[in-house]
Parts: sequence; structure tokens; C-alpha cells
Amino acid sequence: MELLILNGIVNGLIVGGVYALVGVSLTLLYGVLRVVNFAHGEFVIAGSFFAYVLFTSLNVPPLLALPVAAVAFFAAGWGLYYVLIPRLSRSDDPELMSFLMFYGVSITAAALMLLLFEADSRSIDYSFTPISVQVGPIYVSTARLVALTITVAISAALALFLFRTLPGKALRAAIMNPEAIQIVGVDIVRLSAFAFALATALAGVTGVLVALVFPAFNAFSGTEYTIIAFIVVVLGGLGNPVGALLAGVIFGLAEQMATVFLPQAMAQIVGFAILVGTIFLRPSGLLGTSARK
Amino acid sequence: MTASSRAQDSADRIYFTLVALIGGALMIYFASVPVLGLNVAFHFYLMLWITMASAFNVSSGFSGYLPFGYVAFYGIGAFTTAILVKKAAFPVFLALPFSGVAGLVLALLFAPTLRLSGIYFGIVSLALAGICRLVITNMPEEITGGSFGLQLGSRAHPVQSFYVMMAVMVVALGTILWLSRSRLGKALRATRDDADAAEMMGVNVPRVRLYGWMLAAFFPAVCGGVEAWYTNVVDTETAFNTLITAKTVIYAVAGGLGTVTGPILGAVAMVWLDELIWRQFPLLNLLILGVATVALVLFLPRGIVGSILRRKPQWRRFVP
Amino acid sequence: MSIAIETRGLTKRFGGLVALDSVNLQAAAGETLGIIGVNGAGKTTLMNCICGLYRPDGGDVFISGERVTGQPPHVVAHKGIGRTFQVPRVFRKMSLIDNLLVPVLDHHASDAELTERAEGMLARMQLIDLRHNYAEELSGGQQKLLEMARMLMPDPPIVMLDEPFAGVHPVLCKFMIERIEEMSGAGKAVLLISHDLTSIYRLSTRVVALNQGKIIAEGGVGDIRDNPAVIEAYLGT
Repeated sequence: MELLILNGIVNGLIVGGVYALVGVSLTLLYGVLRVVNFAHGEFVIAGSFFAYVLFTSLNVPPLLALPVAAVAFFAAGWGLYYVLIPRLSRSDDPELMSFLMFYGVSITAAALMLLLFEADSRSIDYSFTPISVQVGPIYVSTARLVALTITVAISAALALFLFRTLPGKALRAAIMNPEAIQIVGVDIVRLSAFAFALATALAGVTGVLVALVFPAFNAFSGTEYTIIAFIVVVLGGLGNPVGALLAGVIFGLAEQMATVFLPQAMAQIVGFAILVGTIFLRPSGLLGTSARK
Repeated sequence: MTASSRAQDSADRIYFTLVALIGGALMIYFASVPVLGLNVAFHFYLMLWITMASAFNVSSGFSGYLPFGYVAFYGIGAFTTAILVKKAAFPVFLALPFSGVAGLVLALLFAPTLRLSGIYFGIVSLALAGICRLVITNMPEEITGGSFGLQLGSRAHPVQSFYVMMAVMVVALGTILWLSRSRLGKALRATRDDADAAEMMGVNVPRVRLYGWMLAAFFPAVCGGVEAWYTNVVDTETAFNTLITAKTVIYAVAGGLGTVTGPILGAVAMVWLDELIWRQFPLLNLLILGVATVALVLFLPRGIVGSILRRKPQWRRFVP
Repeated sequence: MSIAIETRGLTKRFGGLVALDSVNLQAAAGETLGIIGVNGAGKTTLMNCICGLYRPDGGDVFISGERVTGQPPHVVAHKGIGRTFQVPRVFRKMSLIDNLLVPVLDHHASDAELTERAEGMLARMQLIDLRHNYAEELSGGQQKLLEMARMLMPDPPIVMLDEPFAGVHPVLCKFMIERIEEMSGAGKAVLLISHDLTSIYRLSTRVVALNQGKIIAEGGVGDIRDNPAVIEAYLGT
């Protein structure tokens, strides 16, 4: 039993790291643009497929796929921003409309992936040597450990960026007060485009990590990740990147521990239950702002 | 009689003439489909989507919510009818009202979420639908058929269920028409526009929201039941499919939220488009749905009827 | 003259900030009580506590002698109190007539009667030609008039006006002043918040001055105008 629990904790941290990154990218997007990206999960899975294609057709190892994905998705995000967002902000009801639009984007993305890759599950058969590493009394797959390390590295880099660099601080300021930041002369459109591109790049990179950590994915896995992203964001507080990091790890742990103690069926409900529970009991999340209508 | 009440009378005359024309045309057209040998399946689903989009409009256009888990009501209705018919030997005509009641019960259960603001409500709605689906999937096989679902037995009567669907659609549209002119409808819209101000004007906001919500939950539940009867089979994959919510939302938005004719027009246009595309490009179906949604939001955010009324606001009183 | 509305020891805190500190005031039928104070003095918070939007942390509100503290806004509204808002809160995507019908939806009168009454109200506010337009199509000043008409529809014995003259041009101000004089003339108790001291002094029978959540002075117009505490609060030292 202790072994199971220990396994649960280690896996919880690894999975939690991935969830944390998924949440951070979504919360950045919401914080700066007040946009709820329903397609976020699809962006992540697109990252997984991206790594898959690079691996199967060009033999690019997943670690190398990371920076490539980052650049490619950043560019894609930048372009997507200018195509989709400017018209939104001029509409009657930007929040509702952004909801619907990203709903459409998520369906489009899932459909594209379905067309390209069909409905079968895919996975990347990349193995590190050694295949697994002993951590205390348990064995952990090397791929997962590598993913965890990368997650920590990315989170640290992100934290550094947000708190120590000028563009990062501008982003945080924009989250706190979008009107004020325009008054002091920041071009909110370019900043928003940057935030969108950054969030997309993060999503893509997370997708590569997903391919390393989880056994398989398919065109429809996106929805799952969108919901996970929302759970993490709500738990951590809308618009709070640090909260998202924390919440992601906590949620990952909760999920993995649930599979240890509960039957499979119940464990799936845990995620949903956490989401609903948080919104009703502590809508501001662990570290965020209010939710009432 | 004052000049303005005379003007109101003539506005009403135009309004009700339009109602009679559109309603009459719909009824005559659909009633004659089986008789004229037109495609029953296509028209059955057309009526289904008209009803779904219109009922959804009550909770979105009239009340200001976006229930992304709307399919939960549909699914619960489908399973209620299936279980009652298959396991308790109910005649279908008795089971269908129970489906409606199941929808109402679920709405009551979900009522606490009505306090939440836009995004939170949408996300929680999605999560609650997910929970519903998981709960039903994991119920004992004797009750819900596990992963294979339930078959209603050879009780399928395409023509009978077609006309029942038509009856449901007519009742739904009639109810929504009544709502749009009624005092409850005005209270709902005031709550949508500014809930606190409405409350300070004497509107019992929680109660009004609940009534709107229950109305919006009743019809999709009955639709689920009728469709279960029509196709003769029910399983969690199809009964709780997120695509049902997606299509409902898109069809309603395409027509224009907030009017009665909007969702009807939207459903007709989009179902027709869907059929056209599906015949030519069966694989691109989902893709076109997604692209159409994005295009709608970018270029026609108020939908067909909404955009027309924006250009001609003076027509608002005449258009149902 | 009976006391129409009264607060006793009304207190409201937001986190560490005390917005209202033990406020006692009353207004009788036919009286106009002017409420003055600098921004942040607690005037709007006072109105929000009275009508039930905020739950007070201490003290009570009485309407016609009945304790209504902590009741939800729609219950308080039905006790006979109406209000307008500093920044207009009209029902944007509803017609002017529908806006006016909202406060009287549960009245037993027929639709035709209520519509006729609404049209009469709109005519008095000179908005009758726009009656089928959506409220969002009105100018700021017109929306304030719409709010006033909406407030008067159920003929409440107590009305609260929050900065009715803010941002409104002088001709419209004069029109509004006439409407407000009609209200107290009809026997209503009027609570009036305004920065426009001229209008306050003209309309009020009594004035109350708030500063940092406390009443620093109250009395007739003459007493308040020359009160050193009031002058200091407005101009500083």
C-alpha cells in the first residue's frame, strides 16, 4: 500500500506539473484578454500531434521538438490573434462572443486533427535509456522524470519572465488593470497579441510534454484537457499564474491519489467535483478574485 | 381609444399575422411531409433542432446564460423514456411526460448555479453534464444498460413519433411565444440586462431565473425522449454527446438570440446547410460546423434576425 | 407627519474600511431630505443599505415603522420605496415602455391599464416619442429621466434620488427640479443626494451632511450652509 501511495505522490507531482502548465497558459490568456479559451485543450493536443509528426516523419526526438513547438506555436498564436480578436472587442458582448468563438475554434481544431490523424489514439514510441529510474523504493519512467524536470525549468523561466523582465511585468500589470496600462502608454493590442502568442506557445510545449507523460492521445483528448485547464484555473484563481501553478500540482496529486483509493469510475468524477465544489465554496480560488453574478 | 393604443393595436395585428403565417406554414409543411413522401428523417431532426434551439434561447437570449452543459437535459430525457419503456413497460405516450419531469427535476438540482456569473456558469454547466454522463454510465447495467445502452424494443413507429415531435415543437414554440410577451418574459429580460437593478425594482430575481431555467430544461428533455423512441436506442455516448449542445448553441446564435423567430430560422438554415454539405463532403462535416461558428461570431454575431433588426429597429415590435 | 423612513445606528464596513458609521436619519412624508458630502463620504452606500442591496453590519432600517433590515431588495421595494442611480441602470435591451413596466409586473391591473399609465409617465418626461426604442439608444440625460419615470410607476411613498443632476445640462436640470418638487408636493418622502448645492438648498426641507461615513451636521438649509464643520469637510483647511 505504501508503494502505491508513494507511486501516487510521485505521479501526482509529474502529472500535476503538466496540469500546472496547462493552467498557467489559460490563466494568462484570461488575465490579459478576458478571453475564455474553450479551445485550449485542443491547442495542447495539437502540440502533442506536432511532436508526433516531427518524431515519426523526421525522427526528431521530443526534447528537440520542444523549442521547435515553442516557436511554431508562438507564431501561430500571433497570427491567430490578429485574425480573431480585434473584431471581438468591438462587439456588443465581448465575453459571450469570445466564448462562442473559441467554442467554434475548438470544434474546428478537433475536426482538423480528426481529418489528419483519424480517430485512433497515437503515442510517441520514444524511449530514454535507461527506461526507468529508481527513486527510493519505486521505479519511475525516465520519460516522465525528464518531463517533470522540463516542467520545473519552464515554470521557473516563466516566473523569472513575469517577475523580473519588463515585458513580463507589463503582462502582470495588464492583468491587474487593463485600462490603466493603456493610459501609461503601453500598446495594449501588441501586448495582448504577445500574451496570446505566449499562451499558445506554452500550450504547444505542454502538448509535447503530454506526449512524454501520458501513454496516448487522440483528436478528442482536447476536451479533457480544456476541462482540466479550467479546474486548475478556477482552483488557482482566474488570472493568477502563481495560483495556477500551485493549483495544477494540487489537482494532479488529488487526481492520482483518487485513483489509488477509489474505483476508476469514481476517480473520474473527482475532477468535476473539485471544479463544482471550488466554484461554490471558494469562487475566488486559492489566490484570486470574485465570481458572483 | 387613444392614438397610441390604436397604433399598438395595428402593431399587434401585424405581429399576430406574422405569427399565424409562420406558424401556419410550419404546421402545414411538416404535417404533409409523411403524406407527400418527403424525407421523414430529415424533417424529424429539423423539428428537433428547431425545438432545441428555441428552448435554448429561453435560457440564453431571454435570461442571459450560456449553459454549455445543455445536453444534460436531453440525455436525462432520453434515458428516462428508455428506462420506463424498456424496464417498466410504460407506453411511450406516458413515458414522455415523465421525461419532461426528469428535465424539471434536474433543473431544480442545478438551480444553485444560477447565482454564478457568465464564465463560471458556463464551465460548471459543462462539468455538471459530465458528472451526469459519468453517473449514468456507471449505474448498474440492469437499469441503464452499461456501455451498450438500452434498446426500446420494436416499439419504433417513425410516422407516429414524427407527429409527436411536431406536437412537441408546436407546444414549445407556442410557450416561447407566450413567454416573450408575458410579464415573466419581461422580468427575465430585465434580470438579464441588470439583475441588481431589476431586484431593486421589485423583481424576485432568484424565482424568476428559476422559472426561466425550468422552462428551458423541460423541452430538451422531452426531445430526448421522443428521439429515443424514434431511433429505438439510447446510450450515453449519443445521448450526452457534447455535439448536441454545440449544434443547439450554434443554430440558436445563427438565427439570433432574443427573438422567437431567430432560432427557428437559424435551425432551418443550418440544418439545411448541414444536409447539403454532408451529402457532398461527409468527412468535412465537423470542420464546417466549427468554421461556420467562428465565421458567425466574426461576421454575424447577432444572427440573421438580430442583424436585420439592428438595421431596422422600428421593426422590432412587429417581428415575433 | 409620520416618519416614512428611518435608519438607526446604520453601519457598513468593507474589509477594514468603515463606509457608514452609526448613521441615524429620518424623513417624513412630504419632506425632502438633502444628503450632501464629498465623494466617498458614504452617500450611495447609505442608499444601497436602505434598499437592501447591501446588508448592513449594524443598525436598522425602518420603512413606515416596519423593520426591513437585511431583507432582499425586491421585498424592500414592495414596502414602497423607489430609487434612481448615480450612473443610470436602465434595462438596455428593452423598450422604454417595457422598462417602465418592470416595477409593476406583479400589480393586479391589466396590461392595457399599466401600458396606459406608462405612456402617461413617458409623456410627462417628454420621452413619449421614443417609447418603442431600446433604452440603450437614449442619451445620458434621457436615461436619467427614464429612471425617474420608472421609479414613479408603482407610486412609491418614498423615493431616493442619487445624483440626478450629475452630467445633465441646465435646461434638463430645471425640468428635473420641477418633477422632484411635484414628488414632495404629492406627499412623498424624498431622499436626495447631490453635489449641486444650489439645487439641494432649493429643494430640501432639511439637509444632512455626511463625512467619512458619519453625520457631521443636520438641520435646515440655513444651518447647514453656514456650518463650519460642513465647510471644512468640503474645502479642507
